[in-house]
Amino acid sequence: MMMANVQSEQYQKLTQELRRGILVLAALSQLKEEKYGYALISSLAEKGLDIEQGTLYPLLRRLEDQGLLVSEWNVEGSRPRRYYVLSESGRNTLQDLAEDWRQLTGVMELLLAANANGGE
Amino acid sequence: MNLIDRYIQEVGRYIPRRKRGDILAELRSLLVDTLEDRFGQAPSETQIEDLLKEFGRPRDVAASYYPQSQYLVGPTLYPLFRMVAWIVVAAVLGAQAIAWGIGMFVAGETFSTLEMIASLVNSVPVSLGWLLITFMVLQYFDAKPHLEEDPWDPQKLPEINPEQDLKRWEVITGLVFGILALVLVTFFPQWIGFITTPGGKFYPNPIILDYLVLIKIALTAGIGLNLFLLWRGRWALTTRLLRIGLDIYDVFVLALLVIGHNEWLTARSAGGFLDAIEAIEGIADGGWELVGMQAFRLAFAVALIVTVIEILTSIYRLIKSRLRSDFSAKNAVLKVE
Repeated sequence: MMMANVQSEQYQKLTQELRRGILVLAALSQLKEEKYGYALISSLAEKGLDIEQGTLYPLLRRLEDQGLLVSEWNVEGSRPRRYYVLSESGRNTLQDLAEDWRQLTGVMELLLAANANGGE
Repeated sequence: MNLIDRYIQEVGRYIPRRKRGDILAELRSLLVDTLEDRFGQAPSETQIEDLLKEFGRPRDVAASYYPQSQYLVGPTLYPLFRMVAWIVVAAVLGAQAIAWGIGMFVAGETFSTLEMIASLVNSVPVSLGWLLITFMVLQYFDAKPHLEEDPWDPQKLPEINPEQDLKRWEVITGLVFGILALVLVTFFPQWIGFITTPGGKFYPNPIILDYLVLIKIALTAGIGLNLFLLWRGRWALTTRLLRIGLDIYDVFVLALLVIGHNEWLTARSAGGFLDAIEAIEGIADGGWELVGMQAFRLAFAVALIVTVIEILTSIYRLIKSRLRSDFSAKNAVLKVE
């Protein structure tokens, strides 16, 4: 029972790590047009990627610090919101990362397929 | 005055001042957007509570704004560490300067530049090293999971209460002078005294030397409380009670010092205030020593009165704070914005 718990905890950590790796690409992919934080969370959730509330804003800030996003406060709506959008550098990075991602998924498919065949 | 405000206030405690406003505004925006999307314009307190539980402990939320890595001193402790480090460096340099000043101009000692540099090279890193070790220990214990055993309950967030606001400059000033005084009484107690203007003779204060241990305890406890207050960022019932307790102890020590000076002066037939003025006439016969001790007695008496006033003020604030807290708890109206 204890072993099962440890394994489950380990599995959760591994999943978290895996998901953390793709969050940057996921967030960048949705910010070709400007969005505020909650809209981005909703947009990702609609497409099947749930992101923890506390994870997104720090991520957006880091991306902004790295020059991949630009942001500004918009006070015109019912309440002030900070809108994020890709910078020029962010658009280029998104393109490069998307290309890397496609290659990676291709490789991973091959690896997993070989693994599945080997196991049979 | 609602849970969201209290949550935002608590997160703000762990975020450096420079970025605080922006991050908190954004966090509020996210919380309110989420609430509105899930529950409409008028969420219940339970719904807000559930959302805050989902967001996580304020300290964790604040920590997520820092790069993730292993720390000797982590993001929660780092702002305090940086501030205390500057205070320690300033206090060590100040104490060193005072010690050199007294040594050179009063005791007539000489220090070469090399000696002074060697002394600084020794004292500053050693002080910072001890500070770092202290914070590493704090960090280590903070990281212990058992400290997080209490389930995260938004209802336990402190009320927003102006009476609990901390005047940081007051605490920092207290800390600087506390450390300065502690360094002096620890390393150079023999140089606490007075110097006669004519003749330039230095007299150490014998009464202070008598009560050195009690003075050190008072200073160390005061420094400890000020560090804790900087760390907590606001007053609480326990810290107010602690402050009152320490002030009462200070009154006790100050009273001993005043009595000690009294006895010393009375033994030399200069117990009265006017005796000091008369003593000036007998400067050549050691009258300055009496004047100096009279001045010390006066300073300690003033400090005693100020501390008694501080105790009364603290008790008043404590009562006011408790009354306000009861009032706001009973009258809290739930408003999202």
